[in-house]
Amino acid sequence: MNGLHVSFSIAASSFLRHFSPWAVGLFAASLLFNVPFAHCREFGTAPFGSASFDFARSLRSGQAQDRQGRLGASPTLVSSPITLHFVTWKADHPSVWDEAIQRFEQAHPHIRVNREIAPHSSTAYHDLLTQKLRNRDVSLDLFFMDVIWPAEFAAAGWALPLDEYFTRGEREKFLPATIASGVYRRRVYGVPSRIDSGMLYYRKDLLERYGFSPPSTWHDLVRQAQAILEGERITNPLLRGYSGQFKQYEGLVCDMLEFLGSHNGSFLTDDDSRSNLTAPESVQAVQFVREQIIQRLATPAALTYQESESLAVFLQGNAVFHRNWPYAWGLANDPRHSKIVGKVGVTPLPRFPGGRSTSALGGWLYGISAYSRHPDEAWAFIEFMASPEMQKHFAIHASLAPSRLALYADPEILRANPQYRDLLPVFQTARPRPRTPVYPIVSHILQRYFSRVLAFPGTDIRKEAQEADRKINRFLALLRDL
Amino acid sequence: MAFPALTFVAVFSLYPAMDSFLLSLYSDFPGPERSFVGFGHYAELLQDPVAHQAFIVTLGFVLLSTILELLMGTGIALVVHERFRGRGWVRAAVLIPWAIPTVVASQMWRFLLNDQYGAINAILFGDRVNAYIPWLADPWMAFGAIVLADVWKTSSFTGLLVLAGLQVIPEETYDAARVDGATAWQRFRHITLPLLKPALLTALLFRTIDAFRVFDLVFVMTQGGPGDATQVIQFYGYKTLFTEGRMGYGTTISVTVFVAMAILSLFYVRTVGSKLLQREPA
Repeated sequence: MNGLHVSFSIAASSFLRHFSPWAVGLFAASLLFNVPFAHCREFGTAPFGSASFDFARSLRSGQAQDRQGRLGASPTLVSSPITLHFVTWKADHPSVWDEAIQRFEQAHPHIRVNREIAPHSSTAYHDLLTQKLRNRDVSLDLFFMDVIWPAEFAAAGWALPLDEYFTRGEREKFLPATIASGVYRRRVYGVPSRIDSGMLYYRKDLLERYGFSPPSTWHDLVRQAQAILEGERITNPLLRGYSGQFKQYEGLVCDMLEFLGSHNGSFLTDDDSRSNLTAPESVQAVQFVREQIIQRLATPAALTYQESESLAVFLQGNAVFHRNWPYAWGLANDPRHSKIVGKVGVTPLPRFPGGRSTSALGGWLYGISAYSRHPDEAWAFIEFMASPEMQKHFAIHASLAPSRLALYADPEILRANPQYRDLLPVFQTARPRPRTPVYPIVSHILQRYFSRVLAFPGTDIRKEAQEADRKINRFLALLRDL
Repeated sequence: MAFPALTFVAVFSLYPAMDSFLLSLYSDFPGPERSFVGFGHYAELLQDPVAHQAFIVTLGFVLLSTILELLMGTGIALVVHERFRGRGWVRAAVLIPWAIPTVVASQMWRFLLNDQYGAINAILFGDRVNAYIPWLADPWMAFGAIVLADVWKTSSFTGLLVLAGLQVIPEETYDAARVDGATAWQRFRHITLPLLKPALLTALLFRTIDAFRVFDLVFVMTQGGPGDATQVIQFYGYKTLFTEGRMGYGTTISVTVFVAMAILSLFYVRTVGSKLLQREPA
């Protein structure tokens, strides 16, 4: 150990003695930049760079057709199997996905699927994926798109237009909201794998014990939760009224969209041209969340919760009401994960007096990389995975709500998910987040605004909203000038 | 001798830096061609309140963590410099936090500070689960948690640098002082501390620069939240570059940090470095 330390100190002092101050400064400063600098060359072809923001190209007759024509002209004489590279997220139900992919490979013996598992978080997955696409990674064939990405991916030329594959007749079998989320400038870029929308889970047993029926307004929800908390204080001191997602991340945008929407507020004006955050309806909804939800019903820890943490509170039996996506149903009724099996109800999210229940549209679309060398095989994969049979598999085993309308009449699916019967209208009216190629920027502005006003109780909501307004309008104006 | 070294610096430091600088002079979007905007992004940065806040958070982090790490590091170095049974083991143990990858350490701290099952809450409150504190939900405590995690992780590194400094102080000076009847405190104050100065300054240099680059702790523990209270400048740059895909503005942030650090480094090397060189025995 001694030798090491002495030689280290000699190295350090000789380092300082023999190098000019400039060289030392440069070296020290170069230490700083291992993150951005290491990758800067690849960014020469930025998403908004010359080649990529080229709408003319994406409006041309379509790459899908070109490729198909070429492939059609020379008959495929493939003897060795083709491997599709599918970048996917870490699934909530990994074994269900393993089985689905096995089934596909059995049905298509000449295609193999190689999965690259990206992080579970939508934003982390987005960053990984867009980095590959910026670098025009030809090894990438298939990916998921969050419903908020198709505009960005299409404008940048990353996603292959699927109009030739995904026929109009086929599209009509899907829930319209899910199809709309994959369309940008009249071309379709994604096939909905499922639909997600926010819904209210509640403790059926507790509501019954206190003689409540599921709340239809947010004020009812607060009232019921407080009565139940009062009554259960001794039996469960850990019980909270509400558990949702309020960390500074994408999920916060969804939760807040629902509060604002059910108070006749919104992020953007109806024509999507300007921010609408300073509208009194929008400001009041935020104030309600701060004063009634965060400060009264939820634990302050909700400011660090994403879906999984907030769900854990509910599954432990420590929340009366819980906002989440459809997948939570299966976990809440699985005795391996949940202490409240059979005690869970689910209902549309509450509204404010004079408003309408609003639920954020989520979900994932299958997409094909514009740089893929195997678009036909990739399409075969998507067609298989989005088929009624496979969506049924996911609905029954992973409680992923189908994107195909007809499946909501399937008796087996309804047996596994009886709540779908009542919730179909929620799925059909789910509200999308703003559709714009600059969505990641808009989302960051929204996340900062909401997180600030919730975490700092002293902030002036109107003033913060004005600040967010100004920034959002600036970026929307930039886009209009295109 | 100078040529290969200069080539190395040119290829790996100068070229990427210049390239990034050029990138920062072009617009993020829109248009079929990226247009040249000159120093437009730099003007924007000067008026960007989010960047200002991120810069202040970063400065606070640098100041607090560097000071605490120097104090802790000196303490660690003084302890493991003493001769005692099992010193080798203690020295190895002290280095463990530093040897753990930061991402892993950050995840560990996130778990420790968890509001439901975190060990820190369990130690403080035991069974009184209702008293558990959601550390990362409060803007100030979240900031403190990031500093704490960094101090825990990097104090041993400063300790290592200071220990190297301690070991070059000749034992005879202490013997002479003892003969003259100096107390332990006097020996520390008048021998150890002055002779330790070069090592302390080196540690200060490394830690300041390193602390400015803080990223992984924030990325894993808080994602900059709540309400941007822990958003440091590098994380803001990351979000702008990688998530928003704004090449021009994102690199502007990087280049600005780079220039600020280059100036700081030069200042350190000029003042601290010249002092260091004077201390070298002739």
